[in-house]
Order: sequence, then structure tokens, then C-alpha cells
Amino acid sequence: MLTTALAGLRAHRLRLLLTFVAIVLGVGFVAGTFVLNDTVQAGFAQRVTADAGKVDVVVLPGEGGGELPEELLERLRALPGVSEAQGLVRGSAPVLGKDGKTAGDAPTTAVSVVRGRLDRTAVVAGAGPGTDDGAAVLDENTAEAQGFRIGDTITVLDHEGDAHRFRLVGLVDTGVDQMLAYTGAVGFTVDTARRMTGAGGYAEIDVAGAAPGLERAVAAAAGPAYRVRTGAQLADELAAAAGANTRLVMLGLFMFGAVAMLVAALVIHNTFTILAAQRTREMALLRCIGATRGQVFGSLLLESAAVGLLASVAGVVTGYGLAALTLTVLASLDAPLPTDAPIALTPLAASGGLAVGLAVTVGAALLPARSATRVPPVAALRDHVGEPAFRAGALRWSFAALLLVAGLGATAVGVFALRPGQEVSLVVVMAGGVLTFLALLVLGPVLVRPLGAFAGWVPRRLSGVPGRLAVDNAARNPKRAATTSVALTVGVTLMTLISVVTVSTRASLTSKLDEQFPIDFLLAAQTGEAVVPRSVAARLRGRPELASVTQVREVRAKVGGERLDVGTFSGPVQPYVVAGSMAGFRAGRAALDERTAERLGVRVGDAVPLETEQAGTVSLTVAALLDGSRSTLPPVTVSARPFDAYFGAVPDSRVMVAVRDGVAPERARAAVDAAAEPYPQVRVSSSTEVRGQFEETLDMLVMVISGLLGLAVLISLFGIANALSLSVHERTRESALLRSLGLTRAQLRHMLTVEALVLSLIGALIGVVLGLGFGWAAMRALLDGAVVEVPVAQIAVFVVLSGAAGALAAVLPARRAARSSIVAALAHT
Amino acid sequence: MTLTETPAPPAVVARALTKVYGEGDARVQALRGVDVSFATGAFTAIMGPSGSGKSTLMHCLAGLDTATSGSVRVGDVELTGLSDRRLTLLRRERIGFVFQSFNLLPSLTAEQNIRLPLDIAGRQADETLFDRVVETVGLRDRLAHRPSELSGGQQQRVAVARALISKPQVIFADEPTGNLDSRSGAEILSFLRACVRELGQTIVMVTHDPVAASYAGRVVFLRDGELVTEVSGPTPETVSDTLVRLEA
Repeated sequence: MLTTALAGLRAHRLRLLLTFVAIVLGVGFVAGTFVLNDTVQAGFAQRVTADAGKVDVVVLPGEGGGELPEELLERLRALPGVSEAQGLVRGSAPVLGKDGKTAGDAPTTAVSVVRGRLDRTAVVAGAGPGTDDGAAVLDENTAEAQGFRIGDTITVLDHEGDAHRFRLVGLVDTGVDQMLAYTGAVGFTVDTARRMTGAGGYAEIDVAGAAPGLERAVAAAAGPAYRVRTGAQLADELAAAAGANTRLVMLGLFMFGAVAMLVAALVIHNTFTILAAQRTREMALLRCIGATRGQVFGSLLLESAAVGLLASVAGVVTGYGLAALTLTVLASLDAPLPTDAPIALTPLAASGGLAVGLAVTVGAALLPARSATRVPPVAALRDHVGEPAFRAGALRWSFAALLLVAGLGATAVGVFALRPGQEVSLVVVMAGGVLTFLALLVLGPVLVRPLGAFAGWVPRRLSGVPGRLAVDNAARNPKRAATTSVALTVGVTLMTLISVVTVSTRASLTSKLDEQFPIDFLLAAQTGEAVVPRSVAARLRGRPELASVTQVREVRAKVGGERLDVGTFSGPVQPYVVAGSMAGFRAGRAALDERTAERLGVRVGDAVPLETEQAGTVSLTVAALLDGSRSTLPPVTVSARPFDAYFGAVPDSRVMVAVRDGVAPERARAAVDAAAEPYPQVRVSSSTEVRGQFEETLDMLVMVISGLLGLAVLISLFGIANALSLSVHERTRESALLRSLGLTRAQLRHMLTVEALVLSLIGALIGVVLGLGFGWAAMRALLDGAVVEVPVAQIAVFVVLSGAAGALAAVLPARRAARSSIVAALAHT
Repeated sequence: MTLTETPAPPAVVARALTKVYGEGDARVQALRGVDVSFATGAFTAIMGPSGSGKSTLMHCLAGLDTATSGSVRVGDVELTGLSDRRLTLLRRERIGFVFQSFNLLPSLTAEQNIRLPLDIAGRQADETLFDRVVETVGLRDRLAHRPSELSGGQQQRVAVARALISKPQVIFADEPTGNLDSRSGAEILSFLRACVRELGQTIVMVTHDPVAASYAGRVVFLRDGELVTEVSGPTPETVSDTLVRLEA
């Protein structure tokens, strides 16, 4: 039987080629993710190991955070066996950009650059600050973004907001430190760093020394309040921390890989079903001459295993290439990832890819192989193998109904019964989605005819006989048509779902902001700290260009035993009251965000104690609960005058400005900028800018996700090409008959193209309906009162692209069909 | 009877037709310079032992295959050197086919199958002709059936109706009774003969069955790619005798 199986492979080489490609793509994606993950993790490990190798023992603050005192450093320096000990300073010190405002989205982190063997700074240009207290180094990205070059003078704010000027002497690489990569880094001498950040102590003390048992000696000297690690232990911890973020991304990639493999499985299943059907007589002949059912079954499985193995090996190699390509692209984009580690194909990655590919291929071939065993030996003697008739049996109907009821039921529960915004609601809705999809998979053969008639309505009318025949042919073998189309459905469903969710998220958030009150400009510090002087709002109120100015100020204070943001507002805010009332809001009253109230366990009318700075502990009566998701107010809000009495004249945390109608945006902007100009920390952002950035981010996300899902679509196209070329093969004589009756080659090609178009449109239509339905459900589960918007244009593009791609998949099979000789095809039996 | 009537020009004429398959050792000369003409309004059978080249001849005459050398004319059109597209259009306009098996598209009804050539050509059916053809082949109550619901004889009658509907210059029939029982076969053959007599249809039939050939007005015999003899007004016996002589 082995010979038979291998001969089968050779005979259907071409037929299996497309299946092969589908497996290669799926396995390539999975294996590529493995390789990428391994390489990046290895890179992290390599970097931190190189770094930490310079350090023998590290002292870090205890679990609760805090700083390491100067006195500890002195004590460690005095320990026998310690050749050197250095304290590292770390804290915020916002660098000002050339516009005089704090640079970037978060305050720059100041670090101390020590000298000697404990220096771990990677200077990539210029030099470190050395002993020059007036010198500074910047990380490359910040320098590039702000346009600073070595020799420039940069301005940095200290912890009190005062500006200091430094000479830029060098550029550094932040390496794998995710925090520094995000905030940017500015490096000073230890003294300057302490002065700028106002740090009383150190974030880390590094110790070098050769004495045995140094770690224990240091731990004994430091005491139990601090964590003491060896250099190697530190390296492991850092690598793990740095890798955690990447691991999440990799998990996401694996999910896309799973989707790709699912689609590949559908394609494989289809191919083997068709192969088995085409070889009915061959199978029957084998049975006639004495092969058992088990042998027939085994030979088909063996065939699938051989294909799966070969394709998986090719897939692993492809994955390796894909990972290398991705790393090159990442490196050229300056991604904060180590891209320089040698690309590693670990045994785990290789065997993982192989196992997935093999399991999916053989698994997908199981059912077709089983149905091949049902061929009676007498079939070998029959002259003509008829069209596979399809009738949906009671079993199919009841199974589909069961799945559909379960799927729609779960979805309804997720949308209507569970509270929106909880993880469980989304999970339930998604589970409902999967069940519904399975129901459609079972029902597919039933749906194909009506949907084909619908999708084929236009071609049927436009292109005469070829069009009509094509539409009929598309649904001629309903089972095959369904599996072929559904493979495309997977990709289209997910793409539609993602675009509905993103467009709706955008619409929901914008509509919430707009509803609350129209903000045109927001003035706030990077950190949201209360640093906007009240005079700014006062000046803005005097400007005729502006319609309204709202101030919000917050402090951290203890409320009912928990540290929370307590604040107040002045200006035209209409809070969303869920319970109670804001009428007569005055001293002794508080409005609580709904969630906060839940956490504190209080309701409207209850009293909560507030520890103030200047008025001792006061008791507040809860007057109203607010909808936190729609509120720009602090979790605990009191009225303005009592707030000053409790906490003093705290500056504003943020000032929100609405422009008077009819004022040119540039004029309004100039007025707002002028008021904020003297204060470097007060950044002005316009809501259109913020919205623009938000939308850009969302668009980017959609693009990336669609790109990844594109792989699933690509695989399903191979499925369409495969199914079509098999249909062409089966209908060789039919095509020849049509050609002899006067169908031109062009008409024949056209006919097959329309058939592919109809198949892909069926898949796309189911996908769009599922995607819309579950996009809506997901939105409702994600967000209370979500506005669901349908991105009609995007979805139209998906459908048109699916159709076009389907037609493209038909090019080669159609060409082969049109080329074949009529005489030879007629003789073919 | 008057003799002033000028005979119509032949429907199909082949001159010095050769066809070679393969190269080197695998080279097969299927036709070795065949000269033959088929009169308009006549029912001609092409006969010969297996491998004599009768199917190849028919394929070349019908524009399904191109000859290696020589010329074929259908009516006033010279087939030699025509592009595939022109050949296709010629088949569409002037030639009808009846094959041994697999004559019909399984997904179409009998009526759709009959109208197929006209639909492909984008032509309107001549409804009087359609009614007459359907009546003659006796398929009135079977028009809505699909091929799988028809008997072999009925399927073949649909195929003949399809060949007739586009009023072709010539119908080529390739072993039209090869898959039928003798009663159905006789029915189809009588019907073909009726088409020639009553409608003036030209029919060229390839067959290896002497009984089938005897329905024709003239039988031409091929052997090893050459036209060797012909019989006019054949009976099953004269055809068999000729065949036996040829194979001897």
C-alpha cells in the first residue's frame, strides 16, 4: 500500500501543489513567530547579560519601592572585598523641545552616568558627561525627534519645574530598557542627576568586587529591607521583564497563525475530498483486488502525512526566512527590540512548526479518507461516476440548528444579559461567534445555492450563457463549494469585524467627548500633574475668541481609607448623573464615580471620610453617582470653594477650552498658545490633533491586523484556485463539448472566472454578514451605549477585493482549461 | 424528372489531407493524403477498421483538429490556416455535432441543452423550427428534464435536436449509436435519415457498425489513413463484405 500511496502522490503532484502552498504559508507563519520570538528573547538575554556582566552584586529597593539611601552606599563601599560601588539615580527631568514645551508624550527620564568599570551606558556618539556637571547626554531617538545635535544646548526642567541649560556632549542607546525607550533618557553626572530629579537616594546600587561570598556580605550589610541580587540574577529578571511585552505580541501573532492554519485545514480537507472522489474507481479497483478498507484508509492518510511533512518542512524554512525579513524591517525602523541576535531555529520551533503542519494536514484528511473507504468494490466496474447528489439530512439540520441556537443564544446573553465592558461579556459573545460560524460551516452546502444565485445575479444577466453556466457550476457540488467559500469567509469575517469595531470605537469615543461638552483645546502637563497655574485659566477667560473655559484640579488624598484622586471643577460641565443629583452641590457634598462608589461600598446619601491637608478629616455626603466612562471629572469630586479650604490653592491639572463659533482655528490657537507660553510644562493639545492621532493609531492598527488576516485570505484563495482547477479537470469533457458547440476560448475562460467570482462572493457575503453581526455584538459587549457604525466603504472594498482575488485565482485553471485540445478531451473517459 | 437541375456544390471537401501525430519513433501517420467530398443534402458514413483514421478525419473535417497538410473546405470556407477563434465561430455557425456519449451538459435541462448552441452564439431560436424539431424527435414532454432523468436513446435524441436547431451546413455524428441498445439505435438512425430526406440536412457519420452504415446513402471506407473504396446504396451485407475484404 505504501507504493500505492506514493504513486498517488506522484500522479496528483500538481493537484497537491496548491494544498502544499497553503500548508507552507500557515506553517511558515507559525514557525516564523516561533523564530522571531526566540531571536528577540535571545537578544534581550544577550544584551542584559552583557550589561549585567559588569556588575557583581546589585542592591535594589524592597518590594514596596522607595530609594536607597546615601548612607547605604557608603557602608557598602567600606565592605571588605568591594572594589567599587556606585549609586544609580533615576527620575523625571523633562527635556524641552525647540518649541519651548516639554518634549514627547511623557517626561524624559534622567539617569546618572557613572564612570569606571560599573558604567553600563552605551554611548553611540560623542562621549559621556564625565565629571562635567554642565554636560548631558540624550538618547538617540529623542535627539533625532527634537532635532538636537552634539554641541547644542538643551534645556531640562528640574523637579520643581525650573529650567537648566546643558551642553549636549553625547548620544546614548537606551538598549532593552522599555521604560527609557518610551520616555526617552537624559544622562547627567551623578550630582547633577540628583539635583535635577531631587532624588534623595538611589534607584540601584551596583557593586563590583572579587571576594567570594560577596553577595552574602552585601546582603548582610544592606539588611532585609532591600533586595540583593547577583549580576546574573539581575540579567535574568531584566530579560524576563523586557520579554513580557514581546510575549504578548507573539501571542497575538500565534492567534493569527491559528486562523491561518484553520483556513489551511479547510483547504486541505477540500482537496483530499476531491482527490478521493476523483479516485473512486481507483479505490474500488484496489478493493476489487483485495485491499481492505483499512488499507484504503491508510493509504490516503499516508498520502496526506507525506504532503503534510514535506510542506511543513518547507513551511519551517519559510518561517525562518519570514522572521529574518521581519527582523531586518524592524531593525531599519529602529524598533526598541534587539534585532542583532543571530537568528535561531531552535529544535522547539522547528518541531512545533512540523507538528502543527502535520497534525492539521492529517486531521483535515481524516474525513475524506473515511468516506473513501465506503466506496464499494463494484464501483470500479461502473462506467460513469455521477454527480455527487447532495441532500441535507435530518442529522445535518438538527446539528446546525443546535449550534445556531447555542451560538446566537450565547451572543444574546453576552449582549443583553451581561454587563458591558466586562471581559466575560466579550468572551461569551466571541464564543457565540465561533458556534455560529460552526453552524454556518455545517449549513454551508444548503446555503450555497441561494447565495450563489444571489451573488451570480449580475453575471447571470450580463454575460449570457457562459455567465449562466458559471453560476450553475459554482453551486453544482454544494459541499465542495461550501468548504471552498467558507475558507474565504474566515478572513472576511475577521476583517469586517475588526473594521466595525474600530470604526464604532472611534465613533463612540468621539460622540462621548462631543456630548460631554465640546473641547477644542486641552492644557495640561505630560503627567497630568497639577502644574497649570490658575492665572492661565484667568487669562483665557478674558479672551473674546473663546466660548468657555473649564478648570479641573485634582490631588491624591485618602477617601474612606483608600488613596484616590480627589478634585473639583469650575466651568460649564454637565456630569452624567447615574443616581442622586448634582443640584445644590456645595460644601460637605461629594459626587463619586460609579466604580469608585462600588469599591468604597457607598451609595447616595452615605457619608465618606476625606483626609484633607488643611482642614483635618471631614465627612462628605455622597450626593450623586456619575457615569465614569463618560466623565472627565475626578473619581471623587467636591465643589470648588471647599476644595481650596481642604487642600489650599492647588494649580489646575487641566484646563479645557471651547472656541466661540465662527472664530478661525488659527486665531483661537494663537490666543491659547499665548496664555500657556510662559509655562514650559503646560502643553496645549487641540482635540482635532488628538482625534487625528487617535484615528491614525486606529487606522494603523486596522492596517496591521488586516495585513495579518490577509494571509488567511491568501490561503483561502489557493483553496479557490485548487477547487476550480479540480472542477476544470472533472469537467474536461463538458468543456470540450461546449467548445465543439462554438464556445470560444475567451468565453470558456470567462465562464471559469465568473465561477470563481461567484464562489468567492458567496464566502465574502457570509463573512460580511457574520462580521457585521458579531462586530455589533462585540461593540455592545465592550462598551455601554456604544455607537455602532458600519464602515460601508471599507466593507465594499473587502467584497470587491474578495471577488477580484477569486477571479485572479481562476486565471491559471481557466487558461489550462482553454488550452486543452478538444479532440483529446472528448476522447478522455 | 429533368436533368436541368445543377447539383448543389458539396458541403464539405477535403484535398490531400494528412495528419501526423508525434515525432521520431512515436510518429504516427493517421491520415495519408485523403481526398473526399460530401454532397449537400446527403447522408454519408465513414467506415474503417480500428485505427484506420476515421475519427481523425472527422475531427479535421469538423475543425476540431487541424490537419498537418492539405485543405478542408466547409461550404465556401477554407479551414486551413484559420485561427482558433475563427474555427470556433465556424463550428458555431455551420457545424452540428452528435457524439457517442457525453453529449449533454448534466446541469442543463433538455430544452436548455437543445438551445445551447444558439445561446452560445447569442442568436434567437427559430421557434417554428424548434417546435418542429422537438415534435420530430418526440421530446415534447421531456423538455424540462435533466439528462440524468432521460434514457440513453432520449439523450441522444436531444443531442440530435441540438445539432439541428442551428441549421448547420453539416452535422458530424461520431458513433451516435455506439452506446445505445439496438432499438434505440435504429430509432436514431431512422431519424437521422429522415432529417436528410425531409429537411435536406447534410450528415456525415463515423461508425464501425455495418447496420448503422447501411442507413446512409453512401459509405466511404478508410484503411491505414487512406480512402480505399466506397459503396453507394449500402446494405448491412455489402458493408460487412467490404469491411471483411479490407481487414483481410
